[in-house]
Amino acid sequence: MKDMKTIDNRFLLNTAIEVMKKSCTEIASDAKELLLQASKKERSPAAKRLLEMMVKNAELASTEGKPVCQSPGYPVAYITLGDRVSINANFQKVLGEAIVIATNDGYLRPSMVDPITRVNSGDNSGIGVPDIEIEHVPDADYVDLVVSFKGCGAELANVTKVLTPFQVGENGLGVKKLVLETVANAGGIPCPPVAIGVGIGGQIHYAAKLSRRAIGLRKWTDKNVDPDVAEMENELLRLVNQLGIGPAGIGGDTTALAVKVEKVHTHTAICPVAINFHCWPARRAGVRIHSDKTVEQLF
Amino acid sequence: MPEESYLTTPLRKENISKLRVRNIVFLNGTVYTARDMAHIRIMDFLRENKQLPVDFEGTAVFHAGPVMEKNGGEWRIKVIGPTTSMRMEPFSETILGKLGAKAIIGKGGMGKGTQQALEKYCGVYLLSPPGCSVVQAKAVEKVLRVHWIDLGVPEAIWVLEVKMFGPLIVAMDSNGNNIFDEVKERALNKVKSLLG
Repeated sequence: MKDMKTIDNRFLLNTAIEVMKKSCTEIASDAKELLLQASKKERSPAAKRLLEMMVKNAELASTEGKPVCQSPGYPVAYITLGDRVSINANFQKVLGEAIVIATNDGYLRPSMVDPITRVNSGDNSGIGVPDIEIEHVPDADYVDLVVSFKGCGAELANVTKVLTPFQVGENGLGVKKLVLETVANAGGIPCPPVAIGVGIGGQIHYAAKLSRRAIGLRKWTDKNVDPDVAEMENELLRLVNQLGIGPAGIGGDTTALAVKVEKVHTHTAICPVAINFHCWPARRAGVRIHSDKTVEQLF
Repeated sequence: MPEESYLTTPLRKENISKLRVRNIVFLNGTVYTARDMAHIRIMDFLRENKQLPVDFEGTAVFHAGPVMEKNGGEWRIKVIGPTTSMRMEPFSETILGKLGAKAIIGKGGMGKGTQQALEKYCGVYLLSPPGCSVVQAKAVEKVLRVHWIDLGVPEAIWVLEVKMFGPLIVAMDSNGNNIFDEVKERALNKVKSLLG
């Protein structure tokens, strides 16, 4: 039995600042590994040169402690909450403060604006920033905090669609076709090589949430626990990489590093699908805070 | 390897007309950043016959918003890289035509309106490697000026002195070629052949 200590605002703030700085200056090691493998396998010389530049940039950002990409994207914090921990902290308030501090320290460009007036808050503070998803896990004596800054050029290429049962087709053919057409139409806009999150089921808000979670929280090298979904992920990755979009959209073998699918049940009338792009800089970092306040690095 | 050239601003028609898609360019001289809000304000100023703070004739306009640091009143660049150019599609005729810019630097490519303007006014669209902000900032020698900082750090016009800024890939040329269109057409045909 661990010695239980209370996770308070101050502890959470200091932990969150470290997680955010790591997230901005180092791309997640699983994404880095996939990028490196792709740069070795790529057959187009121009595409290979770009991939090698991306690998080099990620290394320089890490060694010089600078942001991998100038755009901080939009922040989402994924919190997994065990019920055998003692917490006296305001997550929304503290994570918002951590973002402001990381901004003032030069790790994040001030980029949060009012969606209508477009006025920039100047320090990445703002209503609803960051977006927080909390998942409750019974019988666990830890809290996981994962922060994901996802770029917004990638966001511009996202698609949501509610398919009819007829449109789903045999063995999900309609869903697969929608993914491939979306990737072809997106071209270089989402900063390929991308990771593609596909959320299927629920209602459209649920599919959208799952699509972001699939690429913002999961390791890009992991294997889906559902063997049917795992097979769909492999098939989609193989198909997407036959489209020849290539890094930055200039053509080549390397269009996607990963395709991640999350599926939940839906209503008998519909099949909501959300397709969510992540640019290659996977700014995801996370820690597990144990009930005795020891901190373990997850990514 | 694709042909490499070295261009120095101000850019002239004769520098641009011979560039072809897939050529590599390194840029020396001055580049001007501009994103959505700067373009919108440029249009407002022109409509109201107000003097712009920048003369765009012969310039390279960079779709980018840097991370900047202010040390003792002086701006220093931390990192910089391209943003999605397609958002600036409505402004290309004005930027390349009326204002006389010769190069647009960005990522993701642009649409038909830009392609027409590049041909009509002899301009070029250069792809800057996305997400490579540390590497690209090393080519920025100096932050010369900033205009319209009230728009916020990313949206202001930053005037930057660059040396060997690149590699930039010619992705849309003045002769009607567009890498992104070629790639997209091939990809859409491939989808049909894979899944029917």
